Amino acid sequence: MGRLTAVPLVAVALAAPWLVALIAPGQQRYIVHVLIYTALFAALALSYDLVVGHVGSLSLAHPAFFGAGAYTAAILATRAGWPFLADVAGAVLVAGVLAAVAGVPLFRLTEHAFAVGTLGFAVVAWIVATNWVEVTRGPLCITGIPKPVTTLPAWYGVALAALGVVLVLYLGMTTFRLGRALHAVRDNEPLAAAAAINPLRYRRLAFAVGGALAGGIGALYAHYLSVFCPEEMTMALTVNLLVILFLGGVGSLRGVLVGAVLFTALPEVLRLAPTWRLVIYGALLLVIVVRSPEGLEGLFRRRAGAR
Amino acid sequence: MLTDVLETLVHGLTLGSMYAMVAAGLALMLGVARLINFAHGEFFMLGAYAFWFGYREYELPYVVAGALAVAAMVVWGLVYQLGVIRAILARSWHVQLIATLATSIVLTNLAIIVFGTQPKEVPTKLSSTILDIGGFRLAWQRLLVLGGAVVVFWALQRFVTRTRAGRAMRAMSQNREACAVVGVDVQRVALVTFAVSAALAAVAAVLVSPLFNIFPDMGTGLTLKAFAAVVAGGFGYVNGAIAASFLIGVVEALAGSYISYAYKDAIAFLIMIAVLLWRPAGLFGRRIGI
Repeated sequence: MGRLTAVPLVAVALAAPWLVALIAPGQQRYIVHVLIYTALFAALALSYDLVVGHVGSLSLAHPAFFGAGAYTAAILATRAGWPFLADVAGAVLVAGVLAAVAGVPLFRLTEHAFAVGTLGFAVVAWIVATNWVEVTRGPLCITGIPKPVTTLPAWYGVALAALGVVLVLYLGMTTFRLGRALHAVRDNEPLAAAAAINPLRYRRLAFAVGGALAGGIGALYAHYLSVFCPEEMTMALTVNLLVILFLGGVGSLRGVLVGAVLFTALPEVLRLAPTWRLVIYGALLLVIVVRSPEGLEGLFRRRAGAR
Repeated sequence: MLTDVLETLVHGLTLGSMYAMVAAGLALMLGVARLINFAHGEFFMLGAYAFWFGYREYELPYVVAGALAVAAMVVWGLVYQLGVIRAILARSWHVQLIATLATSIVLTNLAIIVFGTQPKEVPTKLSSTILDIGGFRLAWQRLLVLGGAVVVFWALQRFVTRTRAGRAMRAMSQNREACAVVGVDVQRVALVTFAVSAALAAVAAVLVSPLFNIFPDMGTGLTLKAFAAVVAGGFGYVNGAIAASFLIGVVEALAGSYISYAYKDAIAFLIMIAVLLWRPAGLFGRRIGI
């Protein structure tokens, strides 16, 4: 993304609640709510893209870390009375440690086996969340999670700040020497190993950081809704994230952001029932991945190249 | 006590038969076409609904409804291969995995829209008649499942070793290029593979549905367990996948009865991950060939 286009975009993103108030005063609450979702989903998709897009490991375990963070924050806030920032930090830590520990055995698997192993891990996490009633309250959900800020524009600020933090980390990890090492691992593992880049270490690093960030977003999500249920951490979340990534463009900051905006805005515009939504997302994902696996980002690049 | 253990074992073998028929199809696809079909559990789900439709809605006899369901799923296997798989056969495994995962999401949610989330029951005369041998009780349907599984796997073995199409499938699983060179119609063999795999899933659905309920999202868990069996059996090795399926079924039944019912699936997946780590080439240490 060129600097010249980035600056006005950031300005628009920051001023969005006031712009919405000017353009559609009656709809402000609803539109700002959608904007908060967009920011949170964009941040979550970026954390997922660190693993899928930058080291090329198709992990299906992301909901486990999202859920681990959400439950950690929810439990610390409701039972131990921790303040907001402390319980979010706790969530990041717990999810990050979980990802780092789970990464050790999981990355001994390759390709399909890795995908299946991570999916199995996510299913186990969901089963635990549903059945460990003493801690998670199971299907009764954890309710009454306190909201640190109460107005929607303030929440939008929190979500945007979180997106900013994730964005900076994302850029830090995918550029410079570290980014080049990650891409080397993704593009040619034997060559990377030959150049003294330990593929396993970089994969695990991306997995742990991605998991920690997902945990933090999960914590914010739980605080924002003030309720968290096991259904929030099923396969459906992985499918949503895959749609965002492949719609926009895997491994590309602009692609993932565009994907997140389209993904959260489209269903709101179309007002779909959840079941039909998943049918359409599934079909969309199928068409994109078969016809144009680089997503919209591939389209942007081709147009830029043609000019 | 002893009868309890026996009943649990029979339950485990029933589950194992179901997993094995689904896993065998998955292993065939992987062995012959080098393709992971994440929508394979949905084949079972569709087969089960096709059977329910004939058996309950049209009140056809069990055998007729079953045969129609299997025939319908063979057609579906061909349609799926031509419509979805042909476009991704030569692509990377990322693309294949996501495309078939997307198909599974579409099928599951279409099933929710068409059939609703209320489970469908298809009790048969055999599933409600209990055989009692000195306190050891089991439904006749379970015997039908076990017997059916034996016949199906015997027929599958005959098919892949004795028939032209079956031999072509084995040859493809060993060396695709050489097959093309000597004039094997590679595309047709892939089609046959999908038809056979879909038929296996449908047979499993017809045999097992009278014992369990039918619901739209039954496929996802089944795909995962069948996949676990395929991985544990050695990628694409059909007999390995069948053996591993029975193991998973029995372990799941024992864990469900004696450890924790709520966590039985978690235990099955943890064992899968453990096998993956302990023996990445599968329990039987064979990777190539069906």
